[in-house]
Amino acid sequence: MWLLGYGGAFAAVTLVSLFIGLVLGQVNLANSSMLYLLAVLASAVAFGRGPAIFASVTAFLVFDWFFVTPQHQLTVTDPDEWVSLLFFLLTATVTGQLAAGQRARAREAQEREREAVVLYDVVRLLGEGSSEQVLQAVAERLRQELPVSGVGIELEHGQAMTWVSAGDPDALAGLRLTRDAARVLQPGPAPSTHDHAAPGRWVRVVHPTRRTPTHDDVHLVPVRVSDTRVGALLLVGTSDRFGASEDRLVSAAAAQIGQAHERARLREEATEAEILRRTDQLRAALLNAVSHDLRTPLATIMASAGSLRQQDVPWTEEERQDFAQAIEEEAAHLNHLVGNLLDLSRIEGGSLQPNKSWQELETVVDDVVDRLKPVTRLHHLSIQLAQDLPPMWFDPVEIGEVIYNLVENAAKYAPPESQIDILARASDAEVSVIVQDRGPGIPPAAIPHLFDPFYRVIDGNPRPRGLGLGLAIVKGLVEAHGGRVWVENRLDGGGARFTFTLPLSEVPAEMASVGHAPR
Amino acid sequence: MSHPTGARVLVVDDEPGILRAVQTNLSRHDFRIETASTGQEALELYNRIHPDLVLLDLGLPDIDGLEVLRAIRQRASTPIVVLSAHETERDKVVALDLGADDYLTKPFGVNELLARVRVALRHAARPAAGTQPVVRFGDVEIDMERRRVSVAGSDVHVTPTEWDLLKLFATNPDKLLTDRMITDAVWGSSYPAQAHSLHVYVARLRKKLESSDGLRRRIVTEPGVGYRLVTE
Repeated sequence: MWLLGYGGAFAAVTLVSLFIGLVLGQVNLANSSMLYLLAVLASAVAFGRGPAIFASVTAFLVFDWFFVTPQHQLTVTDPDEWVSLLFFLLTATVTGQLAAGQRARAREAQEREREAVVLYDVVRLLGEGSSEQVLQAVAERLRQELPVSGVGIELEHGQAMTWVSAGDPDALAGLRLTRDAARVLQPGPAPSTHDHAAPGRWVRVVHPTRRTPTHDDVHLVPVRVSDTRVGALLLVGTSDRFGASEDRLVSAAAAQIGQAHERARLREEATEAEILRRTDQLRAALLNAVSHDLRTPLATIMASAGSLRQQDVPWTEEERQDFAQAIEEEAAHLNHLVGNLLDLSRIEGGSLQPNKSWQELETVVDDVVDRLKPVTRLHHLSIQLAQDLPPMWFDPVEIGEVIYNLVENAAKYAPPESQIDILARASDAEVSVIVQDRGPGIPPAAIPHLFDPFYRVIDGNPRPRGLGLGLAIVKGLVEAHGGRVWVENRLDGGGARFTFTLPLSEVPAEMASVGHAPR
Repeated sequence: MSHPTGARVLVVDDEPGILRAVQTNLSRHDFRIETASTGQEALELYNRIHPDLVLLDLGLPDIDGLEVLRAIRQRASTPIVVLSAHETERDKVVALDLGADDYLTKPFGVNELLARVRVALRHAARPAAGTQPVVRFGDVEIDMERRRVSVAGSDVHVTPTEWDLLKLFATNPDKLLTDRMITDAVWGSSYPAQAHSLHVYVARLRKKLESSDGLRRRIVTEPGVGYRLVTE
């Protein structure tokens, strides 16, 4: 490489000399030596400082030898010629230095730019965290950019150590071999033998069976988070082209990995804290519910049972029946509340798995309406389902529960004798089911929270029975079916309107061929 | 309502409260009660007394309730009503498919218990049910031999699949039929995909037999389990 530089410089000087000798020899131009500056400049730009100086001195000597009288001697008779020759040497050297410096700066700028681009890529990748996939991508990127045969990254994740690597499998096998040993070794110089001013903190790991360092050695940059080592960036098979720029890049990448690791850890902590906070909130609401809503029916049960056991009071048959009925009703209510709690825990725990099958919505509504009779005995329940509803793919128990809860909720708030509607209609992609009432409607401030567990619109007095779970369960079940649910106040005369949707699936030909029952 | 007086019922449950309540109530209704609180005890008692009916809790401390059910079914067709709690919710359908006659979900009311016990006993005492040439439920009349159905006197056309369904219900009145049993009987056990259209066929059948006292409300859905044709 360096030979080429000096050869090139020599060739440039020769070329200029020939030109001066052959062409200008006839013309005798003053200061023709200045043409050599071209050769010096060219050498400086193309080959750097050394060849430029070499070109200056060669030009000086050649010009003196061939063109300064007396020719073919290094002596100079005319003192003016001496001065101009010396000026030439000075000018040539300075110009060469300047040009070479420019070249070095341009090259450094290029290297910095490349470093910046690679580092930017690494930072961008690490922006997504420090998961195994991200580290893998970082390793690939560094391997692409660096003159090494393999790149490995190890990083602590809690108790476990994540290990990713990219590159030549043989080289990586060596990496794995020395990885454990690497942790105990002392810092050493950067892998580049040319540039000892490198800022990286390196460990050179020599294979235990070898005495002298080779290029197969593993080079390791520790990854640190505030002085604690959390992992390492490992390189194997570094070539001669590994210089200061590569070293800077590797050190910066190691620092970035450390930071990404720290950010990921902080994010995890924040998420955990948020989950804890939500769990705490839910637990507080649950405790509140258990202490109040579950104990109220228990109080009735205990009082009634206690009354029945009283030997000294001659209860009439009717009174005894009343007590027994109270016990039965309150126990049933408790059972319902516990059922809701269990449903909610399944929804919150994510263990909800709808047991879907092909259903006719009408049948499910019929069944639910039968079960709803005790709840809606004070209201007029009107059912209008579109005639063209296709068979739908859902869990009949869960969708039945959704409709039940919505109607039960309506009956709880709407005044006696008012009408509750169940409507359903199909569009291209989904079926909308509407349950609407003529109750007081929902205060606008309550609408965003209405489907939260244990949430209650505290407006009403007396406080309605229940845990405030019905609508949360509705939301969980509908969403588990890929549907949506929302509430709005009716503009046509007041009341609340709940709508939920269920996506339509393509009906199998076998079922479609039976045809819809003619109506 | 009638039931064989003095029918012997084996009640298996590990909760003393349930055992006491069931025993007290069924005794008052002229059943003879034996109780067991473990699966092992239940099987020993079963072999000794040969009860007319078993009330079997699925959540037992020693053996899985389903194993007790299998062991009994290997020997005899004694009616079995299983009791399921929340933890054994999924097991109840398995139990029914394994040959249990009916189920009760805890907590249950006494009236419900009595009704299920009576239906199970009646069903056992009427093994030839469904051999009558003509079956009537309310104003629905099913002519088994001529394969004809009429509602309030006028003939109703049913497809072959709907007829198979109807026949299955008519020959098993009051019996709980699981989705699995129905699809096996109507479509054959090698027809898993069709199982999913069962509910659509039942819905259409119910619609066709709709009338003031038709089958629409008599073919009752047991949510998540199956269907039951209710005769009373």
